[in-house]
Amino acid sequence: MEILRHVRVLVAYQGFRVCTLLECTCDKTSQDALYRQAGGNCSAMHGAATLEPYARTNTDHTRNGSDRTMNEAKMNPVDEMPDPSRRKFLNSAAFVGLAGAGLSVGLSACNKDAPAPAAAPGGAPVAAAASHAANVHLKPGELDTYYGLWSGGHTGDFRVLGLPSGRELHRVPCFVPDALVGWGITNESKAIMGTKPDGSLRYTVGDTHHTHASYKDGNYDGRYAWINDKINSRIARIRLDYFICDKITDLPNVQGFHGIFPDKRDPVDQAINYTTRVFCGAEFHTPLPNDGRDLDSPEKYRALFSCVDAETMDVRWQAVIDGNCDLVATSYDGKLAASNQYNTEGGHHYEGMMSAERDACIFFNIARIEQAVKDGKFKTYGASKVPVVDATRAANTDPTTALVGIVSVPKNPHGVNASPDGKYFICAGKLSPTATVIELTKVLDWFDGKLDDIDKAIVAEVEIGLGPLHTAFDGRGNAYTTLFLDSQVVKWNVDAAIKFTAGDTSAQYVVDRLDVHYQPGHINASQSETMFADGKWLCVGCKFSKDRFLPVGPLHAETEQFVDISGEKMVLVADHPVRPEPHDFVIFKRELLQPKQVYDINEFPLAVKDPKEAGVFRDGNKVTVKVTSMAPAFEPREFKLKVGDEVTIILTNLDKIEDLTHGFAIPKYNVNFIVNPQETKSVTFKADKPGVFWCYCTHFCHALHLEMRSRMIVEA
Amino acid sequence: MKLYTALRGALASVLISAGLLALGLSAAPSASAQTAYEAALPEGINSAPALCDLVACGEVLPGATAFSERKGQPRYVEGYAEVDGKRTLLGYVMLSTDITDTPAYSGKPVVTLIGMNTEGRFAGVKILKHSEPILLLGIPESALIRFNDQYLGKFVGDNIEIGRSRPDEDMIGLDAISGATVTVIAQNQVMMMSGAAVARQVGILEPTIRPQARFVDAGRALDWATMVKEGAVQRLTVKAEQVGLARSPTPFIDLWYGYLNHPEIGRAVLGADGWRALMARLKEGEHALFVIRTGGIESFKGSGFVRGGLYDRVQIRQGQDAFTFRDLDYLNLYGINAPGAPAFTESGIFIVRSPAFSGAFPWKFMFLGNRVDRETGARSFANFDTEYWLAPSYLEGGRPEVKKPDAPWVRVWKMRALEIGLFSALLIAVGVVYAMRDTLTRRSTRKNKWPVNVFKYSAWIISIGFVGFGLLAQPSITQVLTWFHSLLFQWQWELFLTDPFIFLFWIFIIVTVFLWGRGLFCGWLCPFGSLSELLFKVANAIGLKRFQFVVPMQWHNRLKWVKYGVFFGLLAVSVFSMGLAEKLAEVEPFKTTFLVGLFNRSWPYTLFAAGLLGLSIFTERPFCKYLCPLGAALAMPSTFRWFGLKRKQECDSCHACAKGCGSNAIDADGRIDHRECMLCLDCMVLYTDDHACPPLAQERKRRTKSGLPLTPIGADGYFIPIKPVPVRAPQA
Repeated sequence: MEILRHVRVLVAYQGFRVCTLLECTCDKTSQDALYRQAGGNCSAMHGAATLEPYARTNTDHTRNGSDRTMNEAKMNPVDEMPDPSRRKFLNSAAFVGLAGAGLSVGLSACNKDAPAPAAAPGGAPVAAAASHAANVHLKPGELDTYYGLWSGGHTGDFRVLGLPSGRELHRVPCFVPDALVGWGITNESKAIMGTKPDGSLRYTVGDTHHTHASYKDGNYDGRYAWINDKINSRIARIRLDYFICDKITDLPNVQGFHGIFPDKRDPVDQAINYTTRVFCGAEFHTPLPNDGRDLDSPEKYRALFSCVDAETMDVRWQAVIDGNCDLVATSYDGKLAASNQYNTEGGHHYEGMMSAERDACIFFNIARIEQAVKDGKFKTYGASKVPVVDATRAANTDPTTALVGIVSVPKNPHGVNASPDGKYFICAGKLSPTATVIELTKVLDWFDGKLDDIDKAIVAEVEIGLGPLHTAFDGRGNAYTTLFLDSQVVKWNVDAAIKFTAGDTSAQYVVDRLDVHYQPGHINASQSETMFADGKWLCVGCKFSKDRFLPVGPLHAETEQFVDISGEKMVLVADHPVRPEPHDFVIFKRELLQPKQVYDINEFPLAVKDPKEAGVFRDGNKVTVKVTSMAPAFEPREFKLKVGDEVTIILTNLDKIEDLTHGFAIPKYNVNFIVNPQETKSVTFKADKPGVFWCYCTHFCHALHLEMRSRMIVEA
Repeated sequence: MKLYTALRGALASVLISAGLLALGLSAAPSASAQTAYEAALPEGINSAPALCDLVACGEVLPGATAFSERKGQPRYVEGYAEVDGKRTLLGYVMLSTDITDTPAYSGKPVVTLIGMNTEGRFAGVKILKHSEPILLLGIPESALIRFNDQYLGKFVGDNIEIGRSRPDEDMIGLDAISGATVTVIAQNQVMMMSGAAVARQVGILEPTIRPQARFVDAGRALDWATMVKEGAVQRLTVKAEQVGLARSPTPFIDLWYGYLNHPEIGRAVLGADGWRALMARLKEGEHALFVIRTGGIESFKGSGFVRGGLYDRVQIRQGQDAFTFRDLDYLNLYGINAPGAPAFTESGIFIVRSPAFSGAFPWKFMFLGNRVDRETGARSFANFDTEYWLAPSYLEGGRPEVKKPDAPWVRVWKMRALEIGLFSALLIAVGVVYAMRDTLTRRSTRKNKWPVNVFKYSAWIISIGFVGFGLLAQPSITQVLTWFHSLLFQWQWELFLTDPFIFLFWIFIIVTVFLWGRGLFCGWLCPFGSLSELLFKVANAIGLKRFQFVVPMQWHNRLKWVKYGVFFGLLAVSVFSMGLAEKLAEVEPFKTTFLVGLFNRSWPYTLFAAGLLGLSIFTERPFCKYLCPLGAALAMPSTFRWFGLKRKQECDSCHACAKGCGSNAIDADGRIDHRECMLCLDCMVLYTDDHACPPLAQERKRRTKSGLPLTPIGADGYFIPIKPVPVRAPQA
């Protein structure tokens, strides 16, 4: 393996970055070469063709030296931006109308396609950016303008951030126990989490990656959000009125459940223009059923794609597929769901997973699959009763009956994202420096037999930088893709990319680049996953923070970097540290949620609605203690048990004042949970230690908070 | 010699009276230990949950031995009787200032503890504190207690008013306290409002169910300016001085609010989606309004909602119903959609959850503030509101008809319309008569002043009998002090309008002081002044003239400054304590003479007033000349009167007028001091009297001697120098 480095400073621009242009020749057989090139950093930016084996070959003009020379002059408009005063001139509202003419004169060497002005929505983006930047840091009492729903990674939780401030407002426990609220301790939470026959929790770890919220009319409707647990293949639903997890479903016969996305409309009944299904992609392929068979026959391993009912949270159906699912996207018309796939080879070591030239983006024809289920064309595996349709390549060769259509995308793609105009899905290349734009109408045409080759649905495949992963949108035709290896975000124009791919080599699709810190993974923009992308803010989930915060030992916080995208240039405005390790997130306007302030006491069948109902109720050695809380007292103030009793404590918080939450801890019995206003919770335990145990309020409630106790007297 | 003895005696009697007065005043605090005048309220009375630990609730709810903490909004406590450990609810006790801060005559509320039984009948009333000057040293407090006793047993839902009962109108009348009409009108309002507010909360009175509004939705997209113009959003500004803070160009709080259930307003404020989402959250009969703060730093949310769950700074009122907001009735307001909306620093949506509220009827948005008394640092409730009523074009069928109760001052004016008319006629008549003084003085001579005096004496008699004893409309220095404070802190028209006679009197005074000087009021219409001089005149007429004396000029010129000292002394004291200034204003014997009656006061007061009146028999208007702070206050602007009395050249040497001037207002150079002049017009009678005015008499004699005709006397006080023209008969 030899690498020839030829370093040349192309241009230094405004201190943003010095772009080194590297020309690399690499040993095609070595996978490592990719990463070496990554060190070279800029190969993608000028459209170098050194990644030929991994890139699509039909972009001839990127392959030879002379083309490259030509491209150098026009390829990267960012690095060739004129001086700032010129930019101001371009950005000033009064001259937007003249921008085309002005460009052709003033910037004849570049930017003919003028993606930058196209991105400027007629205003004065520079000024807008400045004003936004000022608003990131809220004054006391000011409220954020956006909600952010965040995954928590292997903390296993779901988080709520206020944006643009980046303040963490809430963590909603779902898959793993939480000592604050008593998640995994109360009977109610245990019932949701799932228990073993002995009553202990089935799982206590989780790994949440992706969260997406329910839709109506192409926008979030504030009902639910869903989140995945990759470790134990569970999907949890979060009610967005109370911000609590109310259901968890285990996906059968699945490992490495990763991508998740709610549908936005019913594929058949277009009147149902809201979420009724959630699609779940599984990464890991396993024997089916995974009961000890086929352990050493990896070629028989398969992954499943699952459809969960949004309301009942039952698994409606599953589909056997080739390859592994990464992420999931759904179309605004509800007809298609897709998952980008790696390891279409079915390898079980990473070399094997990277052997094929291209991987895929698999499109599920939802109506056909559900018809097949209805028609009984399914199997079940193991103990699961969930119907499983065959969506493998081999079984779906005829487009007019196929349940799936498989579009090829470059090697080991990462991320598939639906553009807010409803037209495209974009897969990022990860190992390929490209983004692939797939036009959905063409995919539907293929299903209808009107398109002979489904790969013709690819309307653009352009190089954008090294290690592209996830893409967000601003609603003005631009896409923002994280470049993991470059530690950058690239802003590129989708229409320009389509033109470029169509042969218009003058089309300047890259609009801007921004260094981020460091190793960005997920990205999302305000309202980006809706038809109402507003192009105001961008958040970049950086996996490494390195030197960005005060050091706290070897484990680093991750950086959610906040970027103002209201202007033509991206402006980095804030670093928000987050406890590891969030993956994906969504950002939407605060007006879309109407959270409830307190619980409705009638929603709890066990509620103790009056302090007079409180007391000890004994049935043999089964004892129920009904407790009410009203600041600053529990009722009863003491209760007697006997060693050996199986005790259930039911606590209703009768306080109705917003934010007046009480806690209930029992020393030495390892019990703590909270009850929010008008909420009821219960715990069950064995009274196995005699003595006096002061049950006390753990959640600050009142001036007499310390005095708020009840005596649990366990008689020997 | 005789004169000096008399003078000495007179001065001595004044001094003795003053000393006795001082004695009486120094005795006053101990005497008022049981009175409620400016009584110190227990600390925390306005906020402590256990109200009845601080005040004797049992006194107003006989039989009750245990009381709850304050509850409800407006707040009240429940009173229980404990029999055999069993609690039975007997009724409710409320502190009037928890419910209303309706000011009484003093501009401050009468803090009253009110008991009401479970049937809604008043069980007890106790005045904890009042600031009514009339009750301080005038009308005994027992009068107010007797007045309050009239409520006992009466039902809170009845129509109870001051005045005679009118069974045909279902109106129960209460006897007023003569001389304290404003106080009792305010007290009645306080009683009825407080009782009703609690009776509604506890279900004794049904809430008023108002028909719900049907909105006109023309689908208009309203901008902010249009909404302001059409009254769809309203503003409530509270200035710093209104809450007792130093005057400031920036408001204490500046709020805009509006009613969101109306589709056009709701959409304009929240946007179509936002409005739909909000309406979807509301149940039938619930209403939403928004509030934004565009100025000031004070929060309209306050912090009461944090622990108690209640927003204690904002409220809405519709008719007699008050609607408060809990924390669960609050939603975030993120922005205002309407173009042109002002920038704001605090915002919120409040939800009214009561079918008693209707968007079709007028309502008030209230900011419940505190006014800090800068003298004492004490806080009192101060509510500020503006009215909101959807324009007729917003409502199907327009606005419903609404009958509003008159403000207390309006009721007073209506109630006393006849007297007000008569009194106005008197004032106008005196003004007109005085404007025609030239005609009257020319008709009079030194020997016969009746053409003037008939009017003046009539005015005196009317003002003593009708104005003074009848209407009790004796202007006082306390009013001047009150004005001073109003100008400095907060001007409330209502405060002045509540006493129509005083109000009209003051208009008269201000106009005439600047036209002619203080003399027209002091000399013609001041009830006490009139009484004082009338006594002097009568004494003169009945043969006491030989005991009467005029204070020698050099003494007069010293003593006349005393009244200015008294005035400025009172003013200075009032800056520190209005209450003390009001007590010291007893230097005016007015209250004793007219408002209360000479024989209804304790002896120091009676002695003082009687002494002054007695002195008046021997010398003209001793109080007016030397002590009256009101006279001093009016004397100063009299310097700038428009029309003075006439003088002629010879006046500087001729002292004829000065000799006869009962006011000692004409100095050695013949100049009239309009600050001292009572406009008795004696000198003006002389002015045109060719037998009495020495220069004029001299000329008359000269003319007669030289056979010149006696032409009419001109405005300059001389015979008009007309040369006889032969063709016309040279007649006078």
